[in-house]
Amino acid sequence: MSNTTSLTNNKALHMKTVWTALQYILAIAVTIVIIFPIYWMIISSLKSSEEMLRPVPSLWPAEFHWHNYADALKMAPFGKYFFNTIVMTVGIMILQLSIGAFAAYGFAKGHFPGRDFLFIVVLGALMIPIQVTFVPIYVMVAKFKWINTFAGLIIPNAVSAYMIFMLRQTFKAVDDSFMEAARLEGLGRTGIIFQILVPMCKPTIMTVGIITFIDSWNAYFWPKMVTTTPLRRTIAQGVYELKRSYAGLETMNQNQIMAGAVMAIVPIIILFVILQKYILSGFSKAASK
Amino acid sequence: MAKQATRVPGARTRAPNYRRREKTNDFLCVLPALGFFAAFVYYPIVELFRIGFTNWNLIKDNYKYVGLKNYKWLFAGSGLDTWLSSLRITFTYTFWEIAITLLGGILLAALFNRESKPFSAMRSIVFMPKYIGVSTSAIVFMWILSDQYGILNYILNLFGLANVAWLNSEKTALASVLILTGWRVVGYGMMIYLSAMKGISPEYYEAAKLDGANGFQRFRYITLPLLSPTTLFLFVTTFIASMKVFQSIDVMTSGGPYESTNVMVYWIYELAFVEFRVDRAAVVACVFFVILLAFTMATMKISDKNVHYES
Repeated sequence: MSNTTSLTNNKALHMKTVWTALQYILAIAVTIVIIFPIYWMIISSLKSSEEMLRPVPSLWPAEFHWHNYADALKMAPFGKYFFNTIVMTVGIMILQLSIGAFAAYGFAKGHFPGRDFLFIVVLGALMIPIQVTFVPIYVMVAKFKWINTFAGLIIPNAVSAYMIFMLRQTFKAVDDSFMEAARLEGLGRTGIIFQILVPMCKPTIMTVGIITFIDSWNAYFWPKMVTTTPLRRTIAQGVYELKRSYAGLETMNQNQIMAGAVMAIVPIIILFVILQKYILSGFSKAASK
Repeated sequence: MAKQATRVPGARTRAPNYRRREKTNDFLCVLPALGFFAAFVYYPIVELFRIGFTNWNLIKDNYKYVGLKNYKWLFAGSGLDTWLSSLRITFTYTFWEIAITLLGGILLAALFNRESKPFSAMRSIVFMPKYIGVSTSAIVFMWILSDQYGILNYILNLFGLANVAWLNSEKTALASVLILTGWRVVGYGMMIYLSAMKGISPEYYEAAKLDGANGFQRFRYITLPLLSPTTLFLFVTTFIASMKVFQSIDVMTSGGPYESTNVMVYWIYELAFVEFRVDRAAVVACVFFVILLAFTMATMKISDKNVHYES
């Protein structure tokens, strides 16, 4: 009797080891497939044009051609693209966080008639994406003479319903007694929001802020509509513009195009590695609300 | 109101003037945001419907109202064929993006569900593509998918398969775009499912084990039903996001070849900024908006009844 139990135990143990090994192998295979395009981009950016077009692709460059990066920079004004992207992203972040914090306070802690209805009006904005309304917004922005300006890039994104929603949920969880105490100390609304609520809700604000940052950094649709010259183009359009600047000779210059792609992607990868803790918690929060 | 009064001690004893001022100030907090939504969301959607009744061409200054002419063009005129084909392409794309996010996501969540350093690192890598700009990844995938020099065709050749034209053929262009999409979204689906799986109480699994349920049965009868709110969340958000697909199409195919990837937003964009027919673009956008709204509402309503919530 004891013999058979140990046999089944052995078998179960054996099954478990096989499953663990299989799990490792499959997981590593999936990871390799996912990381391959990034690896291929970096490797291709360092090859010579001749090596790029060999019938048998090489997995490691025969020689490192770092000058591909310098050549790519000559073809497209990446410095300007980065500058535009940083100004746009920071501008959107500051406006969304500050206007969003005030609105979230009003909806979470304020008392005024029609508050809940107006909150639904805010949430309704989530159902009307810019991909539907871009034509009238473009016409309006053109009337304001905001084409090819930072105002045109930033202001149509200055408020986010998603941001207000997330901030309101967190502000709501803060007990009113904190605010009463602050009021007795003589703090006004602005003081309560930025000295009490915002510091207390720092983790959520970090998360929402980072996601907003990455989304604005990668934004493509609206920046494409509102910029017609390189003057205010952002990095999301940058590599596409770099590719187009070779006009028909793309195949010859794939290595330089890949160098441009590396430059465009690296800041976000660094940010992702440093801040992934916040990004991950943000997603579980978003999914649970 | 009674609840609010008890929450703010002293509010009752203060002068009514003070209370009114408080209310006004609270309202002023939300006013900038409301003003923004009025100007950049609600006004444009009303304006969109209005433009649909005109004959506005972007390069002309004047226009007049033409009634339902643009709607006739769309539903009974030369626009109908393109509209139907664009709808079909958009829904095909959306179907696959949802399928990859949900099925791929849950499979990878089951696979990567192990607490260890290497697995945590691999999860981060699988999740990362979501954060890399679509337009830039699209350029990289165009190189991988290149029919003459691309590594994917080289790999296919190694297995004895013939070259595929990928982005250059109307048969495979949409599938090629979906390869990029799959690469971007599968890790996102996985992460959302994994974080939801962490929230399931281990007691359920203990009880099922005592009842003799094996690993697959536990996954099928405990994990999956308890994940249905997460599945709904992913379904609705992925639906809305993928119906709006534009970037990858704009960079990889420009709607071609032979309009085989002419998704709705790309078509609206072309009508407005390539053909300058703002009036037609507005009508297509309005109808698209109504479709989006109706589908989202319908899924919410149906799923309200069928989603299991952990009590």
